[in-house]
Amino acid sequence: MEGQMKEPLPFDHRPDALLGDALRRALEPGDDGAAFVARVLARAEELRAVSWHAVLARWARAGVAAAVLVALAAGYLVGRAAAAPATRPTVADVLMSPPARGAEVEVVLASVIGN
Amino acid sequence: MTEPQPPRDAARIAQQDEPALVARVVAGDRAAFGVLVERYAAVARRVARAVLGNPEDADDAAQDAMLSALLKLDQYDPRRPFGPWLLRIVANAATDRRRRRTVRRAEPLDVGLTAGGPRPDTTVERRALGERLRQALAELPERRRLAVVLFDVEGYSHAEIAGMLGLPEGTVRSEVFHARRRLRALLGDWKEEGWKDR
Repeated sequence: MEGQMKEPLPFDHRPDALLGDALRRALEPGDDGAAFVARVLARAEELRAVSWHAVLARWARAGVAAAVLVALAAGYLVGRAAAAPATRPTVADVLMSPPARGAEVEVVLASVIGN
Repeated sequence: MTEPQPPRDAARIAQQDEPALVARVVAGDRAAFGVLVERYAAVARRVARAVLGNPEDADDAAQDAMLSALLKLDQYDPRRPFGPWLLRIVANAATDRRRRRTVRRAEPLDVGLTAGGPRPDTTVERRALGERLRQALAELPERRRLAVVLFDVEGYSHAEIAGMLGLPEGTVRSEVFHARRRLRALLGDWKEEGWKDR
């Protein structure tokens, strides 16, 4: 019979137009799709806005974290600089300066000899 | 007996310009995304409905899938056709939604229709056939359902469907064959009457 569905060949590689058309009609949403498209596009716009805000928020968080790190590093360096000795004597200074403990040694020796 | 039908190329969606369209979307072109959505809205909704049954749930899943695709567009390989890539996301979105069991119940069918009653010969024939087909589809395993819809309705090849569903091509062939056979059995009384013009 014309139009009648026939038993398919095993693993037929050709689409069955009759069955396909009937299934297509059965699955059609029943509208022209314009409302659906508008809904998807509107939601996409919302997502773009949300993702843009998320990017800004990420940048803001990263910026705050970086500023905190910079402040900590700067504080550490300043504190270290303040705690360090003013200047170290050079080798020449040490050799040319009079012995700092000479007098003390003499006092000790004198007290030993005196005893 | 009807002759075997040729592949319905008209059912396929033109793909030539899609890599360029996708590139434009990735670059931020909203109009290009609109073109893709308009182009694939109908097929995405049909595929989602094949999984979920309920049209509202199907639309929600199709929308989720399109938005998910928008977010994942940088993962799309432009050397491959866009349609199968998108429909894989649609099928997954619909399946996830069904698994979450938050779907609205499909409207119950008329008892006379589901019980295989006599073929109505009124103006509601087409609607009744549609309900019978949806019911018949719902009785198929999901994979089988998707395979037959993607093959016979949307015109994709077995190989393309295999890629979409993550199945071997031979499995897809088998699923299509068994789905067709089951649909015909479930619609036996309609088959006897013929349904070409309904």
